[in-house]
Order: sequence, then C-alpha cells, then structure tokens
Amino acid sequence: MKKLIILFLAVCSLWLLSCEEIPPVINPIDPNPGGGEVQRNVLVEEYTGVRCVNCPAGSEALQALINIYGERLVVVSFHAGFFAPPYSESKFDLRTADGDNLLNFLGSPLGYPAAVVNRKLFDSEPRLQLGQGQWPGYIAQEIAIAPKVKVELQRNYNDANRQLNLTVNLEILETLDATDVRLSVALTEDDIEDVQLTPTGKQADYKHKHVLRDMLSNFDGNPLTESLSVGAKIAKNFTYTIPADWNADKCKLVAFVHIGGDKKDVLQVAQVKVIQ
Amino acid sequence: MKPILCIIPILLLVNQLFAQNNPQISGSLETNANFFIRDSTIGAANTPQYDRQLYGGEAWLNLAYSNWGFDFILRFDLFNNSNLLNPTGSYSDEGIGRWFINKKINKLGISAGYIYDQIGSGIIFRAYEERPLLIDNALYGLRLSYDLAPDWQIKAFTGRQKQQFDTYNSIIKGLNIEGFLTLGDSTGGVALAPGFGILNRTLDDNSMNSLVATLNTYPKDDIFEPKYNAYAFSLYNTLTAGPVSWYLEAAYKTKDPINTGIIIQEPGSVLYSSISYAKSGLGITLEAKRTENFTFRTRPQAQANQGFVNFLPPMARVNTYRLPSRYNAATQELGELAFQADIRYLYNKDWTFNINVSNITNLDDELLYREIYTEIGYKYKREWSILGGVQFQNYNQEVYEFKPGVPNVQTVTPFAEFLYKFDRTKALRIEAQAMFTGEDKSVELRQDYGSWLFGLAEFSIAPHWTFTASDMYNVKAGRNSPVNENGEKLNIHYPRFDIYYTYRSNRFSLSYVKQVEGVVCAGGICRLEPAFSGVKMTVNSTF
Repeated sequence: MKKLIILFLAVCSLWLLSCEEIPPVINPIDPNPGGGEVQRNVLVEEYTGVRCVNCPAGSEALQALINIYGERLVVVSFHAGFFAPPYSESKFDLRTADGDNLLNFLGSPLGYPAAVVNRKLFDSEPRLQLGQGQWPGYIAQEIAIAPKVKVELQRNYNDANRQLNLTVNLEILETLDATDVRLSVALTEDDIEDVQLTPTGKQADYKHKHVLRDMLSNFDGNPLTESLSVGAKIAKNFTYTIPADWNADKCKLVAFVHIGGDKKDVLQVAQVKVIQ
Repeated sequence: MKPILCIIPILLLVNQLFAQNNPQISGSLETNANFFIRDSTIGAANTPQYDRQLYGGEAWLNLAYSNWGFDFILRFDLFNNSNLLNPTGSYSDEGIGRWFINKKINKLGISAGYIYDQIGSGIIFRAYEERPLLIDNALYGLRLSYDLAPDWQIKAFTGRQKQQFDTYNSIIKGLNIEGFLTLGDSTGGVALAPGFGILNRTLDDNSMNSLVATLNTYPKDDIFEPKYNAYAFSLYNTLTAGPVSWYLEAAYKTKDPINTGIIIQEPGSVLYSSISYAKSGLGITLEAKRTENFTFRTRPQAQANQGFVNFLPPMARVNTYRLPSRYNAATQELGELAFQADIRYLYNKDWTFNINVSNITNLDDELLYREIYTEIGYKYKREWSILGGVQFQNYNQEVYEFKPGVPNVQTVTPFAEFLYKFDRTKALRIEAQAMFTGEDKSVELRQDYGSWLFGLAEFSIAPHWTFTASDMYNVKAGRNSPVNENGEKLNIHYPRFDIYYTYRSNRFSLSYVKQVEGVVCAGGICRLEPAFSGVKMTVNSTF
C-alpha cells in the first residue's frame, strides 16, 4: 500500500509540475481595421421584450460593440416570446408576425437577453442563442472571416407617398456550394419611445433600438435561384410603403444572404438608412 | 451513440454462452406528459407549448443488468416539445441517454460509459443527474479504482461532460484517494474517514478561441492571459466520536476564467464544515460554508445551470410544504458566507420538535437569505397526528431571481398539517398555510406576489388510491401579481387537483394544475420557472 501511496503522490506532483502552459495570443481589436475592399459584416439578431428587465443591459452591451465595430455590426432586435407582450400602458405592440416566425425559426433562448450571431451554431454551443457574455467573442470570430458575398443596397424613398424602392445588389466573391441560399430583407426602426421594464421599474420614455418592423422578404428569406459561381452579379428589387406611424428618419434596411434549411449561417449583411 | 445498440445482441449471445451464471435485470420507467392550457392572466402564455404545440413530455427508461461480475446500464431518454431544459422554450430529441459498464477484477474496478460520481461532498467534482431541472452532468469516459487496503481506495477518471445527447469538448480528469481508519478500540473509539482529490479541466481550443475573441474586445485593463488548465484540490475528513460526527472540507481552485457578467480570471476557494450530534432523541446539526469565486464549469461560456463540473451543498432548509418552499436560496458560487443550525428533539414517541435557522450573506456582508423555521408535532395513538409551526424568511429576490431593484422579500408563514386515520386503509390529511409578505414601500404594495393562503385536502385509500385537492390564493396581491386590463391587481386562485393510483410498483397520476411563477430547486440548484396552466400525467414504474 505504501508503494501505491507514493505512486499517488508522484502522480499528483507530475500534475503540478505540468502546470506551465503557453498562453494564447491576445490581440485587442482595432476599432478601425484596414483590410481589403470588401469586409465581412456580422448580423446580430437580438431577442427582446418590453417585460424583460435585463434586456436594456443587453441593448447597452450591443451598443458598446457597435461603438467598436461601427457599421460592420448590424443589429436587428425582435420583440417576441414570453417577455414581449405589451403593457396596458404601452403605446405600441412591438411584436410582429415575422418576429414570432423568427422566434420559432431560430428557436427560443434559455433566457433573455439573448442573441443569434450570424445564425451560426458555433462549436461547443448547444444552440444558436447566445447569452450576453458570449456575444463579443463570437462577433470577433465571425468578423475576421473573409466574405463570400458582397451586398450593396440602393434605395429610393418618396416622402410624399412614403414609398420605398430598394435594390439589393449581390456579387458572389467565392462560389457558393450550398444548394439553398437565400436573401432576407428587414426593415428596422431606431429610438421608438415606449414603455420598457428596467431595473428601476417601468420606464415610459425608453428608446427601443433596432426594432424589427417588418420583413420585405419572406421571414426565412427568398431563395436565390441564379448561378452562385464566383463573379456572378444578382440584383433583387423590393418595394414597400412605410406606415404613417413609423418614423422613416429612424428606419433602416437590412439585407443579408444566408443559407436555407437546417444550417442557417449568414454569409454577409449590409445596412442602409431609409433616409440618408 | 448508435453503435451501443450493438451491445444488446452481443449481451444476449454471451448470456447464452454463460447461461450457468445468475443474471439479474432490473429497471425503472419515469414519464411526464404535460398538456398546456393557455392562461395569459397568470403568465402561462407565449411559449411554444402554449402557443401551438399544446403538449410536451419526457421519459426515461433505465435498464440494469448484472452477470459474470459485470454491471451493465442502458437508458433511453425521450423529450418531445419538452420545457424541462428551457422553461420558456421547447426541446425535442431522443436516444440513448446513458450506457455504463462496470467490472471488478480482484482489487481493480473498471468503469466506462456515462459515469455518475463525486469527490468528497462534490465541491470540486460531481457528475450527477437532477431530472426536474434536466441537469445530467454525467462524465462520459473511463474510471479506474483500486482497493489499496480493505478500507482504502484510490480512483482515477477522465472524460468529457455530457451535454444532452452530445458532450462538451473540454477534458475533465481527476484523482481521488479516500479511506477509513479507527483510533483506539473499535467500539468506543474515534473513527476518521479522510480523503483527498484533485481535478483538472482543460479547455478545448474552440472554447479558448471564443474566450480570446471576447477578451480582444475588452479594455486593456480588463484583459488577462486565459488559462487552458484549471486545477482544483480538495482535502476532507469525517471524524466520528460517539454521538458526534464532524465533516470538514477545504477546496482550492487555481486561476480559471469565470463569467461574472464580464469574464475575469481568479482563483477560488470553499471551506465547508458540518458537525452533528445525535443521542437520546436529540439531533443537532451545525453547518458553515464560505465560498469565493468557485464557479467551475466545463467552459466559461456555459449558461444558466449548464456545464457545472462541481456541486456546492445548499445551506438552507429544504422545505416541502407549498408556501414555506416558495422562496429558496440557490447556492451562490461567486461569494457566499452561510451558516445553518438544525435542532430536532423527540421528547417521547408522541411529541417532536424542530428548529432550523440559516443565514446567508455575500462576502460584503449583504444579506442574501435568512430563515427561521420552527415545527412541533404531536401524534395521538395511531388515530391522528398534528404538526404545526411558523417560518420567517428574508429573501434577496434581486440576487436569486435576477430582478434588479426589487427589495428583499420578508415573509411570515404559519403552517399546520392534520392527519386522521379512519381505519387501516383510509386516511385524510389536511394542510393549511398562510404567507404574509412585507410591504414594498417604493410602490406601496406588498413585496413580490404579496400574501397567500394555501389549503390542501388529501384522502387516501391504501394501497391504491390518493385524491388531492388544493388551492393557493393570492389573498393580498403584490408588486408582481397579475393585473387586469385596467391595470388593477388581481387576487387569483391557483387550484390543483390530483389523482394517484398505485398498483404494486407502478404509479400513475393525473393532475390539473394552475401554478404561479416561482423558483424551482433541486439539491440547491434553482431556476425561475414561469407559471403553469394545464394537465399533467405521470407514469412511474420499477421492475
């Protein structure tokens, strides 16, 4: 037995001796990166709700990341699920049919706030939905990947009849092998002033950001049936009339190319204000 | 996991070859079926089950087979639109949830598959299952044990932690030695049961890459060099001397990235002690625990109750009555200083007394939880018995339920239970409870959901039938109680009706349940569950 105890202690010692490890390299992000002509942008779809007390903190965390990445980080916040029903004193019901569809399509998170980054199921993650502490890492990971598609938005907005004409120009930078590739277009509105539950109670003048108002495409995207070989150029047109009670000055158009089916990865996203 | 199915025909074949052995097979079945009835008023709405799925269920079928010195375990798990993993979501999957083989060859024990085990009280390592919260932290790997002496054993294990039907990628390995020795003569002497354990968790590359990418976004002052390897050590001992038993465990964890909202890297420690005295109808247990930065997960990104490598013992009474169990103190891994005292006294065969006091603060001396629980029981022959008491609680809802800005919930909860036996088979049990909550002065309303009344009547006809009817009534609505369309607080009834039927080792239940939002705990691990409205069915069987 003494021999075995000595062996036990020896193994313990070996463990302690092998404590030295080579640490990973930390390279703080440059907020103004250079790089090639076309850069990869990242789409963050945030689950939120007016009854979610912790969601304002999530929104602030996303704003901090937008301050780092600028226009390369595109956020769409959809009000859906358990925390989304409006209060009796709410001015608006920020839920949309497309938001509900997206909740079902992407799946419910374990808790709010949560977000999906580029609709990607990251290694070791059991689900698409990520908690607030996970966003920076996966955004940084995704933004470093070279884009396969270039997305450009051209819009024309008529303030008189509130009609919006949008052309989404796609250029395939790397042949896409996936059989089901789709284009989604969303309309979001910033700074909608309405009630939100916060840590200090209900705040009537809370400014909701990046609120999904509607999808100009199908909620799960319009299939791209054209050739997706390198160099291919595709243009897709959309028209939409912005409802009178939405503030067009605060509206943005978000277009993203993504894979359809079980794998939902977003390949590229671009965003433009309705009124520049 | 499908190749494991090949084991079954192999077992059958081998069984034929060694038919002279004495095989033993046993098993158990546990099934839950929930039918969801939308009730927006109480918040039972806006989940996939209430909106469109209408049904959700889970089942576990466990088979254990022993022969030729081997133990085999095989378990089939099924989840259909289940809300157990995520109370506001839906989870569907099915397959082999566990397989396990164990063989003892002289002094060497070999185990492989999904292993449940722990070191000491689990502070540095515990692989376990808590089905009510769908925690299944089995270690998928290999374990070797060796009997150094009749009372001394050493074991080593390595593997990865189970994650539903998959595994996490981080590697866990551990070493544990424990034994038993007596000082003095074997009858009246002192006995010691010491142990020592080491655990190592090595982060996988993907987890580290994600962690590094997160750190890259941090301000310079918050950046650190993350460690792949975290080591935890635990030294523990149980000393028994006559009626006194004293358990002491000290654990230390090396620097490890932990998620506190932002990710930091700090060492952690736990000091836990429990001393108990039991003699002549008197039982006293005193416990103390100090915890600092002892979150230990397979990866720092793991959320909620996912990926725990260890288990920290809870330090508050586990209450069973409906209202006294409404507020529970979940273990705080980042910082907690907790004390608990429990005194039980059996005056004679008719009278029993119990007092339990617990006090939990964080390391800055902010009160997290305080409970004073008293209970007196009296039994009259075999005809009837009565039990009553009162509980006082002070519960930091802001910390335990992540509801920033709300005050501590203070409650006074008297309770009573009366059991009357009509004859040898028929009995009636009645429970009555009332919970009075303090005032939230910021909104001039009662705290949380306010005050409650609860009543229960249970009629049983042994050995088969039990009928239960209960109601929980929000007699004085509070800050978080539901409101009507005009914003007025509602006083809502939450009724429940159950029928249980037991036939030998089979048990069936059918329940109509309307249940308020609350914290559900299993073994000190807790989570906030939304309200429930619907019908529940269960079938449980052992064979």
